[in-house]
Amino acid sequence: MLEYLFANKNVEKILYFLFLHGKCHASELSKCFDSALDPIQKTLLKLEWGGLLVSFSEGKTRIFEWNPRYPFLKEVQNLSKKMGEFLPEEIKERYYLSTKRKRPRKTGKPL
Amino acid sequence: MVIDFSTIDAEQLATLVCETLAKNDVEAVLVGGACVTIYSENRYQSHDLDFATYHDLNKVGSVLKKLGFERKGKYFARADCSFFIDLVNPPIAVGEEPVKKFERLKSALGTLVLLTPVDCVKDRLAAYFHWNDRQALEQALLVSAHCSVDLEEIKEWSRKEGHLFKYKEFLDRFSNN
Repeated sequence: MLEYLFANKNVEKILYFLFLHGKCHASELSKCFDSALDPIQKTLLKLEWGGLLVSFSEGKTRIFEWNPRYPFLKEVQNLSKKMGEFLPEEIKERYYLSTKRKRPRKTGKPL
Repeated sequence: MVIDFSTIDAEQLATLVCETLAKNDVEAVLVGGACVTIYSENRYQSHDLDFATYHDLNKVGSVLKKLGFERKGKYFARADCSFFIDLVNPPIAVGEEPVKKFERLKSALGTLVLLTPVDCVKDRLAAYFHWNDRQALEQALLVSAHCSVDLEEIKEWSRKEGHLFKYKEFLDRFSNN
């Protein structure tokens, strides 16, 4: 929808994904959107460089999330929310509303 | 003046970089941990000089090359210097508040433009507020102990940021030091 504004098709996907899930990592997004890993990694780094996102290492994975210190954060999040409202339900279901378990599960219990 | 980059300190290098950039029409402001180093008189050491600038990375790079700093990805370094220079994307802000007033420190090397002590404290506190980073709290305390900062201004800013509770913790620590 806003590709023309961001000049990059991955930006709006990442923004809406983050709006829904709060954090992400490149391989998760690549799998979720069935797209190449490298452009997604580059877009995440670009958003980090711009100050919108920050990243942390968790094991071997680099996790990206909103930068709470970014001065336009609320405005970007509102834009992300509005983009989501205009997305077709089937696209939302297929790409964004992951059924991945998020609540804790005790170590050793079968998945 | 001959500069020995292997022994230069953070303030000297930051001044040299800022002055050289300014002479080449590149306005840049020192932000981040190096401001803590300068205001705390080296009680905290940052080897990362973060400059916020509206100018293009390539333009800044061509000026830094004159000082012998080569681009390594997004930052700049030289082999005989322990500091590296990083560029921060503008705007300069502390939380939701835009920063428009800066400190200017003059020396024989030129003029260094940097965050004021009070904005440096807010900048560090923002990291403490949002990520619970205790090192950032310690740095905010260091700057507050070495410089005169307006605690009422910091309190009001903390309230707007929604972190009055953590401000009180900062204030308790500050009062007990």
